Amino acid sequence: MAAKPGVRRRIRLTPYLLILPTLLFLAAFFAYPMVQGLILAVYDDEATLPLLDSPDLSGDKVGGLAQGVQLDVLGQQGNRFDGEVTNDLLTEQWFRITGTGSEGAPADGWAPETRVRVRDEAADGTPRGGTIRTKLAAGADPLTDLYETPSESAEIIARIEAREAVAIEDVATLELWFEVVANDDAIAEGATDAQGWVPSRFIQVMGEEGERARVDRGTDGEFTSRFVEKMFDDRKFGPAWQTTLILMALILPLQFVLATLMALVIHARLKATSWFLYLFSLPMGMSDLAVGILFFSMFTSSGMINSVLEGFGFIDDPKVFLSADTRWWIIAAIVLAELWRATSIVMVIIVSGLQAIPDETLEAAELFGASYWQRVRHIMLPLLRPSIQVALILRTILAFQVFAVVIALGGGEVVTVLANETYRQYFGLRNTNVASAYAIFILLLSLASAFFYLRALRSQQELNA
Amino acid sequence: MTASPTTPPIPTAPDLNLTERKAKPTWGRMGTYAAGIVISLWILIPLFFFFSMAFTTQETVRSYPKNFLPFIPFSTSTMEFFLRSDGVGEGLINSVIVAVLTLILSTLLATPAGYAVSRYLFPGRDLFRLGILAVRAFPIVVLSIPLAVLFLRYNLFDSLLSLALMHTALAMPTSVLIIASVFASVPYELEEAGQVFGATPLQSFRHIVVPLVLPGIAASSVFTFVLSWNEVFAASILTLENRTLPALLLNQLSESSDAYQFAGGFFLMVPSIIFMFFIRKHLFNMWGQVSK
Repeated sequence: MAAKPGVRRRIRLTPYLLILPTLLFLAAFFAYPMVQGLILAVYDDEATLPLLDSPDLSGDKVGGLAQGVQLDVLGQQGNRFDGEVTNDLLTEQWFRITGTGSEGAPADGWAPETRVRVRDEAADGTPRGGTIRTKLAAGADPLTDLYETPSESAEIIARIEAREAVAIEDVATLELWFEVVANDDAIAEGATDAQGWVPSRFIQVMGEEGERARVDRGTDGEFTSRFVEKMFDDRKFGPAWQTTLILMALILPLQFVLATLMALVIHARLKATSWFLYLFSLPMGMSDLAVGILFFSMFTSSGMINSVLEGFGFIDDPKVFLSADTRWWIIAAIVLAELWRATSIVMVIIVSGLQAIPDETLEAAELFGASYWQRVRHIMLPLLRPSIQVALILRTILAFQVFAVVIALGGGEVVTVLANETYRQYFGLRNTNVASAYAIFILLLSLASAFFYLRALRSQQELNA
Repeated sequence: MTASPTTPPIPTAPDLNLTERKAKPTWGRMGTYAAGIVISLWILIPLFFFFSMAFTTQETVRSYPKNFLPFIPFSTSTMEFFLRSDGVGEGLINSVIVAVLTLILSTLLATPAGYAVSRYLFPGRDLFRLGILAVRAFPIVVLSIPLAVLFLRYNLFDSLLSLALMHTALAMPTSVLIIASVFASVPYELEEAGQVFGATPLQSFRHIVVPLVLPGIAASSVFTFVLSWNEVFAASILTLENRTLPALLLNQLSESSDAYQFAGGFFLMVPSIIFMFFIRKHLFNMWGQVSK
């Protein structure tokens, strides 16, 4: 675009500075986590465990094992470990000891903790001295080897007699490394048959002699559809999305009828309108959990519905509405609770739409003899289409997230919904990735339905035009 | 899912016209009244029964069938039992802290943004508005899980501040849109007039605009407070020890008595009922703006 010479468009900085805090905040606490969520659903950052050719982090990688692969343990070795010792590590202690060697010369070298009985400790528990243990096995070498470094593969620099008193100069913590190979079953299922070393913190060693193991977690990430598949295969997934859709199909139409009715009452501008408005919009600000509990108080077997029915003599025994055998009653209660709670917002949007319709239009129709019903059907409803579209999108997105009401009325077991499964995967099963897959699934459903409404309602308008 | 005050959308609708039409009582009018009363009862009767359950003896809560006529005996014993239960005091305090933090954060951040959107025409303004609307349409469920993971990574997990940050992200879009509409309702000419009479731009903002927008911004802040007070999904995901009241209630649902739940539900409802009472007249100039 050619700007006129001499006219410089000045871009003012002020508005950008004013919106900057909001933008930064939303970037940090909305956009960034959103992207992270997407990644969590399709990326496993612990997918494979590299096998190294030597028991050493700098060793060369000879293969990789997927999480969960069953292993045979071929050998083990300790490696000096200086980091913080956590629960998932298998460690052993080595002592640097000094004493008199088997040949009478002073000996100074490393021996595993198992070879020394500690007899003297400092106040803080640090071992200071002890004696060499006797080897019990028949025919065992009576001497204990001292190594140059704390490792069984190091050079033996001295030998020392059993029961000899020694001073403990230093303590080293070793992490065990295991030489492993995938077991035959795992190889048959496609795991690599490479054999190599892995540190203890990534595997779980099992079996009486520690002869078997399983890959606990890996260190190399990879993109995977595993979590998404796990979500689809989950036995609660089918019921969850079906119930979500059933609830939506039951709630939305009823809600729109009721909301339109409310809006027409408000729009009639009666004397009591401001009171009606307050009452109708009262549930709008209410917690969904509280409303769930409210309807629980009505439907529970010692609740108000049973009390009223029995009070008027309709029933003799309380009816059980909310139990594992009464799935449809639970759904009915959820529908009523959602209808009670979330209709007001639809009403507000529809009333806003009604306000935008000029009185003259309606009066003209009245003059030409249109009945009230005809005015509603042929003037108000068509003109309300944009408002209804907005309300539909909003309500559908919220319907995919219905959660607390379902828990309060059904406990979350008999009747489950997508949001509840997300919660269960995250909290009950500690499966963050699958929970993320659920979250992304809900997001995609929301986007798809918003897109659908925009298209569906627009094409109708175009047809009418 | 959350908790409403569900964030409604933004059209520029005229203020709600509450002036009655002058008309004689007719059958149509009486029908409308009847419909209004029936709908009001549908809203009120469950509330009435629920509140009477929250304010009665625990024996009455357990009893069956309940004598609902004429009245359920009034007593504060259920309420006292609830307030003395484990964790409830802390839960209430946590809820208040989180809601107040959310209120402060989102008002501080959203006020300048709302002012910018209503007062300046700048390249990117529509994009900003659209972005804000998109944020509002995103599901809370989707945001909670990755935020929990991030907070865990940065050692912010299970802190009230982290929950307030999350609630702020949720409330921000609506706050910006409401505050923008509040500023838009104060004509810029008023500010100019102040300057004509010799005030500096800052003075005329301080003495003319601020008093006019304060009630609207207060309403938006209270809305934020209620949103945070009600929010249960993120609160349950993001906190463990420092539970807010709704997270505590949700967690206790399966093992607590009916009396405990009813009293807890009552506490959750109180702020929103008060809030709706104060903003009922502004409902449409506030939220009418938010729907297109």
